Amino acid sequence: MTTLAPAPVAPPVSASRPRRRRPAPSLVAAIAVIAFLLLAAAWPALLATHSPTANDFAAALQPPSFAHWFGTDEAGRDLYSRVVWGARESLLIGAGAATVSLGLAVVLGTAAALGGRILSGVVGFVLEVAFAFPALLLALLLVAVLGPSAWTQVLAVGIGTAPGYARIVRAQVLAARSSGYVEAAVALGHPRRRIVLRQILPNALRPLVAIFALSVGQSIVWASSLAFLGLGVAPPSSEWGALLDAGRAYITRAPWLVVIPGLVIVALALAATSLGGHLRTALDKGEKA
Amino acid sequence: MSTTARPVRPLVALAAGGALLALAGCAPATASGGGEPLEGGTVVYAHQQEPACVFGGWIEQAYLSYQVLDSLLSLDEDGTAVPWLADSYEVSDDQLAWTFHLKGDVTFTDGSPLTAGVVAHNFDYWIAGGNSTAQVWLDGYYTSAEALDDLTLVVHLARPYPRLPETLTQGYFGIQSQEALENRSEEQNCEAPIGTGAFTVDSWSRGSEIVLKRNPDYTSWPANAKHQGPAIVDTVEWKFVADATTRVAALRSGEVQAIYDVPAVEWASLGDEGYELEKYVTAGRPQQLTFTTSRGVFADEKVRQAFAYSLDRESAVETIGQGLIPFEGNGGVSQSTPGYSQKAADRYDYDPDQANALLDEAGWTGRDDDGTRTKDGERLTVVLPYGAGSIINADGAAILQALQEQATKVGFDVQLVPVPQSEFFAGAYSTAEEKDITVGYWTAVTAGILYINWRPSTADHPNYWNNAFYNDSTLEGYILEGNSASDVDAQNAAYQRAQEYIADHALAIGVYDRLSTLAVGGSLKDVWQEHSQGGPVFHDAYLVG
Repeated sequence: MTTLAPAPVAPPVSASRPRRRRPAPSLVAAIAVIAFLLLAAAWPALLATHSPTANDFAAALQPPSFAHWFGTDEAGRDLYSRVVWGARESLLIGAGAATVSLGLAVVLGTAAALGGRILSGVVGFVLEVAFAFPALLLALLLVAVLGPSAWTQVLAVGIGTAPGYARIVRAQVLAARSSGYVEAAVALGHPRRRIVLRQILPNALRPLVAIFALSVGQSIVWASSLAFLGLGVAPPSSEWGALLDAGRAYITRAPWLVVIPGLVIVALALAATSLGGHLRTALDKGEKA
Repeated sequence: MSTTARPVRPLVALAAGGALLALAGCAPATASGGGEPLEGGTVVYAHQQEPACVFGGWIEQAYLSYQVLDSLLSLDEDGTAVPWLADSYEVSDDQLAWTFHLKGDVTFTDGSPLTAGVVAHNFDYWIAGGNSTAQVWLDGYYTSAEALDDLTLVVHLARPYPRLPETLTQGYFGIQSQEALENRSEEQNCEAPIGTGAFTVDSWSRGSEIVLKRNPDYTSWPANAKHQGPAIVDTVEWKFVADATTRVAALRSGEVQAIYDVPAVEWASLGDEGYELEKYVTAGRPQQLTFTTSRGVFADEKVRQAFAYSLDRESAVETIGQGLIPFEGNGGVSQSTPGYSQKAADRYDYDPDQANALLDEAGWTGRDDDGTRTKDGERLTVVLPYGAGSIINADGAAILQALQEQATKVGFDVQLVPVPQSEFFAGAYSTAEEKDITVGYWTAVTAGILYINWRPSTADHPNYWNNAFYNDSTLEGYILEGNSASDVDAQNAAYQRAQEYIADHALAIGVYDRLSTLAVGGSLKDVWQEHSQGGPVFHDAYLVG
């Protein structure tokens, strides 16, 4: 579950440009990882060296080599190609779940902050209850009801992680509502709807750009957890969590089947987190400038 | 792990019914792996699947109930039914009345006596649905059971069934206390059935373990037991560890002393490390693919045959099974079943050209962008659901994926659907409309299993286990002939004709034989696999230290 603290709300975005600086190595690395994986998701055939599903029994359980960069699995399938082909599903699940999660968070968080007394109370209560409910348990419940599939994973992870983000949104909106520029807009007699749409939401939701990047990485980890529990997409999908799940039976004999997909998930999560951090820093600087 | 075992002293063993005398005769004084045989202690055993009740119609339940409930007969290594609760039996000349002579002075662990009346009550309980598998075995043959006196039971049949004694050795036919069945709640009998067995169920922590306690008054061990007398160990902690890797790790760390269902990839290494390995090729229906014949693409025999030819089943099983899991070509019964037909097993070699030709003949001549064949706009898609983790373990799932890929090459689109255990046993994917292929096994001691799997299903007498949804009087005739022929050779010949019929019409094709495997650490001795279903027997087990 996310433990992100609400970002301080600053005055409206300035038009001034930040000074150009050399990008941090961590940012370059994060962009490189994400770019590679996006390329894999868009054109897997361009990067894969083998078919992701073709059996080659003579080459079963081979360790990483020049012929098979990430080794092979129990049916002789090329693990590197399976990782590449699995990128699309993994990233779609990650981005989809992050979208569902943040979409719900914006609606619920804004309603909790700006709704009337009753609506705020009800939404706030729902959020507190949902927040107290372990996200993985909630996700498992949804998978049990809807059945395992990629879309179920998107919904399960998205709904499971939404309450945490909704609290952030609520805090941001409340802070924006009491800011000086909103008070000024009220004093100028701007209609409430215009103040909400033009002043409060754009400023309150700006930190979500960075949070979205973080959420994608987290969602992929969550979805991988579900797949690892056997509640992911159907075989022979090479979604990364499913690869982990399938590989664990061979962990002593062929550890690469677990270690490599695990490292790929870690690399993406780190890259997304790093990118989110840099985005957040850049936005904060933009606000201060 | 706690093993508060004591060194065995002759007097203690003698007082315990001669246990040590038998032990001394059957086991080395100093076990390899070290130490003296101990009396008492706790065996910690890691099993894979956790059933809903101890007693029931699933083999995993039979494994458990075998520790707690005794049956009339036990199966010996050579396939002979030997005395257990019944000292002897005979059959009438017309083969319709079986008389069982029970052991005297046997009591259930609730104190009630074992009588012929109690056993007759159990027969009626099974046929009424008390055990779903016992019910389908007896269905169509059993008419009644009566007690001639306290220790003489007569079972009446509607038709001859010469292999009844062997059939009764399966764990589904464990005898329970009538008093318990009538006076305790269903839940109590589910969690801790009352038998005359070597152990009693002490507690069940759902999701974790069942604790079995030694029955100190046990007197009714089977004739093929390795020792006479009550169990040697005090306690068996029967843990449920679904993940195979975790089971192996627990064995290696010494956290458990024995594990069930050894993953194929670990078999050789565990053997090299000195663990005792036990392997039992389950008789009965193998892990096979049965085609839905009543609707869908497999209503056409040519398409079924094409699917069979498209698969290199042997290579897939040999590779993924690491040479441990036996390939099985026969879709009727496994190679360890009496009356097995090698001809049926050899019916379909890997022949993609033949598969393509058959699909062309059947009119599946189009191809879509994915390479899947089409006919009149319909894709050649087949749905193959499987009980993930319950019926099909990790090795089996990997084999299915390999077959899926092979079938793709000739234009099938095979959709594998892993079904969680709870959904699977709740009836998901049980109808013809929901699936094109049924995969699974059904353990049995005789080819009589064919009757359960292929008896026609009618409105008056439905057969929910006819997974091909195929009603055919010729096939039924062969099986009925096998079931009732008095001569074993005649039985086998009829059963073989049935298997060949199944193969010729491509109603089902075999994939691999279901194994029951055990890996046992050096501190535990004389755990053996029961011969009717391959479950572990702890009555004779002892610890060394």
